[in-house]
Amino acid sequence: MGLEYVRISPGFEKYMPRDYVDLVKYGPFGRKVDVMDMGQFKELVEEHPMCAGCYMAYFIRVFYTALPNPEDTIVIGTAGCARLALSQAAVPFIYGNYGDTNAVASGLKRALSIRFPDKHKDVVVIAGDGGLIDIGFGMTMHSWFRREKFTTIMVDNEVYGNTGGQESGMSPKGVQLKMAPLGKKFDKINAVELAKTAGCVYVARISPTNPKRIAKTIRRAILAARHFGPTFIHAYTSCNIEYSIPTREVLADARKREKQDFKFYEWMTDEVKEFLEEVERKEKQEVKK
Amino acid sequence: MPEQRVVEPDYLLLEAPREKKFITGSQAFAEAVKRANVDVAIAYPITPQSETMHLVGDLYAQGYVKDYYRAEEEYGAMSAIAGAVRGGARAFTATSGPGLLRGLEAIVSWPGHRIPAVLGVMTRVVNAPLSIQPDNVEISYLLNSGLVVLHAENQQDVFDFTLAGFVISEKVDVYLPVVVATEGFFVTHAKGYVELPPEDMKLPPRDPYKAPVPPTDCEIPPARIQRDAPVQKSNFMSYLIHAVWQQEVWSANRRAAKWIKHYLGGLIEVVNPDAEVFVVASGCAAAQGREAQRYATMEGLNVGLIKVKSLRPFPVDEIREALKNAKAVIVPEHNIVGWLAKEVKAAIPNSGIVVDGPRVYGGMTLPVELIMEEIYKAFGIKKEKKVVV
Amino acid sequence: MAKKNPIQPGPEGYIPTPAAFQGCDLPPPGKALLYGEIVDEEVAMREAAKALLTRRNPTIFPGPLVLWGWNADAMEKAKAVLELAMEIPNCRIIPMPDYRPKYPKIDPEAEINPNHPNLTILHNKIEACIFVGVHCHYANLSLRMIRAGTNCFTIALCAEMGHEDAMVSLRDVHADEIRKFRDVVVEVRKELGIEWEPKLPPENPSLPKEDWVKISPLDFGEYAYLLIPRRGEIVEESE
Repeated sequence: MGLEYVRISPGFEKYMPRDYVDLVKYGPFGRKVDVMDMGQFKELVEEHPMCAGCYMAYFIRVFYTALPNPEDTIVIGTAGCARLALSQAAVPFIYGNYGDTNAVASGLKRALSIRFPDKHKDVVVIAGDGGLIDIGFGMTMHSWFRREKFTTIMVDNEVYGNTGGQESGMSPKGVQLKMAPLGKKFDKINAVELAKTAGCVYVARISPTNPKRIAKTIRRAILAARHFGPTFIHAYTSCNIEYSIPTREVLADARKREKQDFKFYEWMTDEVKEFLEEVERKEKQEVKK
Repeated sequence: MPEQRVVEPDYLLLEAPREKKFITGSQAFAEAVKRANVDVAIAYPITPQSETMHLVGDLYAQGYVKDYYRAEEEYGAMSAIAGAVRGGARAFTATSGPGLLRGLEAIVSWPGHRIPAVLGVMTRVVNAPLSIQPDNVEISYLLNSGLVVLHAENQQDVFDFTLAGFVISEKVDVYLPVVVATEGFFVTHAKGYVELPPEDMKLPPRDPYKAPVPPTDCEIPPARIQRDAPVQKSNFMSYLIHAVWQQEVWSANRRAAKWIKHYLGGLIEVVNPDAEVFVVASGCAAAQGREAQRYATMEGLNVGLIKVKSLRPFPVDEIREALKNAKAVIVPEHNIVGWLAKEVKAAIPNSGIVVDGPRVYGGMTLPVELIMEEIYKAFGIKKEKKVVV
Repeated sequence: MAKKNPIQPGPEGYIPTPAAFQGCDLPPPGKALLYGEIVDEEVAMREAAKALLTRRNPTIFPGPLVLWGWNADAMEKAKAVLELAMEIPNCRIIPMPDYRPKYPKIDPEAEINPNHPNLTILHNKIEACIFVGVHCHYANLSLRMIRAGTNCFTIALCAEMGHEDAMVSLRDVHADEIRKFRDVVVEVRKELGIEWEPKLPPENPSLPKEDWVKISPLDFGEYAYLLIPRRGEIVEESE
């Protein structure tokens, strides 16, 4: 179905609140949106409840703009900062229990595949480092081992931001945080290598300094997941509060980390590469026409 | 696999011709799933539940169930059930004792998320020390979470409760998960006679649009759906929405009563309603209570039995009415905490007539003689204890 | 049921007991609920019509299932809702387009939300309202909160089995049944001697349209530099 459920019943256009009229008229449904047009979509840029200067909020906006098929996409999140912004968007969102995202997504994707075998219903998990790599670790890994066809995006702020700044498995070694009063005693977990080993067919690590690149990466991950298996993006989205990054310097910090340990990295299987090249070649041809 | 035709739930459950088979409780679960048009079954091993999910796996291999997999652990299994049901599928899983407690965080969130599914609970002691025997203390954890909880006495109940469970859980005015609990081994691994409707019939598929909440499948408005949005702002409005949400779950739980009556013939079964002394029991204890009632009648004692089929909704009015003239009430149970005795005491005005027990636990069997002892005491009959050397 | 007609307009108090806890059952097919009791549809409809015609600021709250034209039935039902609105003197339409709480603040003149419906009711002094096209779970939440804190007379036109917490609840209501109810409203209106020329309710008073076309990335403050590359900055391909 897709677009029909974002169409206002005839006669009710003038009774809908302005927000919803705008959503239908200007929203991202049913057309290709360029990340540079993000400002056109109120749904994606309206006030969010996150901290001023939050880089995760920015990443999530780009994420929504980049969805290849927003009218047939379901986003799954869990406890943590990310879901505060995720739940503000015009795309169905599931908030289950602590760290259960990849198990819920497995069930959901299978149900949708049974019910709509001829349609692409994209399921995307977007959760924090704590949700995916600590409490939800087993479910994250097993969804990959089982080759579940959905995308997992880890918005890694290297801390439990929403519960008040505790150490996570993704915090860098040595950093002093709550529950790590003497500094973290082991290394940041290498999520990207784990994902590759566990069977993801497309893996990327990114520091969000370049919106076009974020959008392209997200799009690739979602398209590859439709046909081939699990895909994973590890994105650095700093916590300017717990890591005391001045608001004006969040981008500089992202650039610094990009040079240090978040250099853009992309890996995919040969068949995914072939598929994506074909898709992107066709798209370029269409643009030329 | 025979070609199955869809028939109305009322026909399949109440009218279709039945054939008598001699099968285990695990097989009875599987026979129900076979006729329930299940989309997704998710399994994770734990004794004594595993056999049921092996058989459901066979149903998947044969084509009765559309998707099936072995999950990573119970929390993952129960979460995936929630995902599948949100996506519009009909889902089944089962677990036991420690597995139930491992999955409990997800399970107790199902009612609030309005997840209609059927969960088989084959009771097993809660570990420490480890044991696999059928103590049913775990059921007490389920009683306060909004789930509909049915307690099966035997293999026939397992079949009927499970098949009806799918229908009841998807009623628009209920839309809650239904637990079908029964004692591990005593029922799951023992055979009994079960009357089964033909296997070439099945329930209609789940219609996820006939529901009090929209499925999350991008096919139905609202587009900006978040059907269970966090309502956590610190103000009175957010407290109130959570309060009425809980009320709605428990209202739905009460509404299940009329469907349980319709499909399963009542929340309770009463044997000898004019009795002076009653045995009130559920599950396997009801089977032993039934025997005790029979013995007592043979000895000329006016004893009745109330079998509680539905623990949630709890049949407060029915039990109060049935016990209004009782002199004593004996509540045999397979657990040490006596959750049923507490419920019965709370249901009647004169709770002093309730005898605490007899109770067995750790997986011990419940000899009829234990119940008889309490019956004799209630009638003031003194029996000599024989010591067999 | 302890007392007769237990479900009355509120305010019932801090946290009212749900009607289902008080022993109110949903009506069987062909019947309706009036003040928590099962009655004939006709009786319930007339009482609902009377409330809409005699109480202050009657308002229809259409939910997602009629607001969004997701299938032919929904659009037909939406049409019937407008026909009903035309016949209720000085009726207003305040939509419930979705179920997500409105943060930071709802515009109570523009919309109603199941997580805080009383804000809309109290702000607009609504004393009679109709819920239609709202999923049962959310309608029940709303109906209970409204009974808790307002004196609004609630009418639920339910496509499924009905709602115990509404003062009047009809069941299995689709476009035809809404039109039947409209006819009852017209009939009762005539009996009460109220004169009214059918007309559509006023439009949604939400804020004047914002002109998104004129917005520039610079309006996004701290994010502006993320939307436009700096002079001389080259956006590379991702390879």
